[in-house]
Amino acid sequence: MKRSGVMIFISVATITVSLIVFGLFLLISANINNLANFISSKLEIRVYLKDGIQEAEVEVFRQRILHMNGVKDVIFIDHDTAWKQFKSNFKNIELTDVMSNNPLPDTFHVYLQNTDSISNLSSYLKTFPQVEDVGYMGPIAERVKLFSKVTKIAGLVLVGLLTVATLLITINTIRLTVIARQNEIAIMNLVGATSDFIRWPFIIEGLFMGVAGSFVAVIFLKASYLFFSVKLQNLLPYFPLVFDSFILSLVYLAVFVLGAILGIVGAYISVSRTLKSV
Amino acid sequence: MIRVKNLRKIHQNGFVALDNINLTIEKDEFVYLVGPSGAGKSTLLSMLFKADLPTSGEIYINNISLNTLPAKQVPLLRRNIGFIFQDYKLLPKRTVAENVAFALRVMHVERNRIRRQVAQVLELVGLQQKMNYLPSELSGGEQQRICIARAIVNNPAILLADEPTGSLDPDTSWEIMQLLSKINARQTTVIVATHNKSIVDDIRKRVVALEKGRIVRDKHLSLYDG
Repeated sequence: MKRSGVMIFISVATITVSLIVFGLFLLISANINNLANFISSKLEIRVYLKDGIQEAEVEVFRQRILHMNGVKDVIFIDHDTAWKQFKSNFKNIELTDVMSNNPLPDTFHVYLQNTDSISNLSSYLKTFPQVEDVGYMGPIAERVKLFSKVTKIAGLVLVGLLTVATLLITINTIRLTVIARQNEIAIMNLVGATSDFIRWPFIIEGLFMGVAGSFVAVIFLKASYLFFSVKLQNLLPYFPLVFDSFILSLVYLAVFVLGAILGIVGAYISVSRTLKSV
Repeated sequence: MIRVKNLRKIHQNGFVALDNINLTIEKDEFVYLVGPSGAGKSTLLSMLFKADLPTSGEIYINNISLNTLPAKQVPLLRRNIGFIFQDYKLLPKRTVAENVAFALRVMHVERNRIRRQVAQVLELVGLQQKMNYLPSELSGGEQQRICIARAIVNNPAILLADEPTGSLDPDTSWEIMQLLSKINARQTTVIVATHNKSIVDDIRKRVVALEKGRIVRDKHLSLYDG
């Protein structure tokens, strides 16, 4: 009883570690995708206006930009709204430590139909007297779009490989607990137990091991991510870390479900192999 | 009840374990399979239990061919055949009662009936006082009795015993064979593979002698050496 308890503990620990690695990879992948999407979404020119421009003049300027070639839409964000959005995006940072007054200007977000005219348009907009500065991330955004596509595909491939690796580790780990009870299986076989009668207790045990391992893994991942992401956000405030509870919940659910499935599949394969050999 | 026709077993290394075995065993018979080590006794028993497959030939139990028996029905076959192993094959971490009950649990028998039948069969083999002991706490003879109890608890029609007295002293061996005779008297066909000459000579039954995989003698109420 003692020996089998130790083996089960080792199995659960191995499954836990494998799932932590898997979960970490999912979290990193989610954050890389988030970064790629964030940058890709910024296919726009930011026109930062000088202080003191009247509302009517702002609207006239906005209409002028809207009628320029290649412009899809122009949205005006006043400095108060911009400051509220900024504080909302970076709510994990103590902004009063960094700045007490709103430093942001009134801004036009100029959305383009394509990236062809981005450079020329930016240069032209800079010539206007109302404009303090113009910024755009077009070339970077294009590269990041490609990067995002590549990382998504690479991510899927790596997740697939990691799933297979985790499955193999789980199968072999559970197999050790089954081999330890090979005699018991052989005797059950000889007294007339059906394969299902022999298999089911091991499958249920495998499920419990998988669930136990995934439970510990999820707790560890959740606690670690919260701890490190807050620290990282304070260090790199502009880095778009994933804090969306829906996405994070999906990651943890994936780890949990994978653990349960691996436990069942690992046990089934291990017992079936042993049954064939007795 | 048991018919063996032209049975042959050749191992992968080319060794002929059984050659041209033809044998009929009627219901309620008591048969010794005798012969030196390697004669094919255990191989023949394992064929009757479908723990091994023949190279050629047929085995019928109650007119059912084992060759064509689907894998899913093998457990049902084994529930009707009790098997006594030389090395007992007991579950070391289960008590005497649990070991015996195991053969009924796999048949999904309800708990009260399991308790009753286990108690009855342990009384038959003389172990009712030790039902909560572990196998390691019992002697070799007592462990063999547990094995016998497990083999007969579900009232099988056939009982196969592979060297049941192999590792036991003469007195205990005699007790085990008396028990098997008692079981046979309760209308169970018993086949015992043994090379224990004194047992065969003292409790005379039908003797089927094997040598190098072939039947060399088949005689009722015979001595070990004919």
